Amino acid sequence: MPFVRRYKDLGTDLDALYMDIISELQQEKDLEIGKETEGIINGVGFKSVTAMRASLPRAVTGTLREVSVTIAGEPDDWLLELHTGSWFGNMILPGAGGFLIAGPVGTAAAAGTTGLMAAQYSRKLKNKIKELVKKHSGKPYTADKVETFID
Amino acid sequence: MTLVRRYKHLETDLEKLFTDIVAEIRKEPKLNIVSVMNGEVNGVPMMSVIASRTSIPKILVGTLREVTVTISGNPDDYLIEMHVGEWLRNLVVPNTDAILLVGPLTGLAAAGSHQLLAATYGRDLKLKIKELIKKHSKSEYTDEKIDTFID
Repeated sequence: MPFVRRYKDLGTDLDALYMDIISELQQEKDLEIGKETEGIINGVGFKSVTAMRASLPRAVTGTLREVSVTIAGEPDDWLLELHTGSWFGNMILPGAGGFLIAGPVGTAAAAGTTGLMAAQYSRKLKNKIKELVKKHSGKPYTADKVETFID
Repeated sequence: MTLVRRYKHLETDLEKLFTDIVAEIRKEPKLNIVSVMNGEVNGVPMMSVIASRTSIPKILVGTLREVTVTISGNPDDYLIEMHVGEWLRNLVVPNTDAILLVGPLTGLAAAGSHQLLAATYGRDLKLKIKELIKKHSKSEYTDEKIDTFID
């Protein structure tokens, strides 16, 4: 599920924000950081981190496979992209017999806390990022400074 | 772009198919394999590979960020999931000036073959996987043995 937000006029310390996002990803024991990329694109700063599941889950359908967070821009005008990938997310539809191979959604729910579901993790991370943006911004965070682009 | 296909009655050697898919991904110099998982989920074999981009692209929007291929099931009934992630795809909408932050779309066309575009790579890999399935299957590959689920 890709999710992009543009933040304007916040005076955000993007380096500090990025470091805290990495720390947040590292706190999830089922994830490991696989790749970090930093540099300049089109004259603006760019940082991207990809973390992936460290081991096979007990149930597949809907469980978190990888997370990617990208920040591009300048303190007063920047973009954040959050992507969370889940295994066989498109099998979550009625009558999809393919479910039986990869494991029914019920199994994932039954697995409880051991099943790290992509949708839940994405929601949690999105809220955490909002909190971190506020923490690392020099100006007040208001709804009119944020624009969301949904896929 | 996520694509899931279910293949039935093909008697495919899934180990060899997976090995060849990993080899195919390794051929792309701009990609780096960051995770290979092989085990059982729900009593059926599951193999998954994740590769991510090795360096920062010249242009961001639409370029390949990561690739995941997962095989789950048995030789006569299995699923293949292919996910191709690209940066900031949600910005490819008319009238958004956010794209100016990270490089206009026209830059993509001008960049030509230098850029590893997710859509192009996804199409090529899909065709290659089809070819590899035919190579490693004992039964004839026909359309009625395949069911496609698109995200």
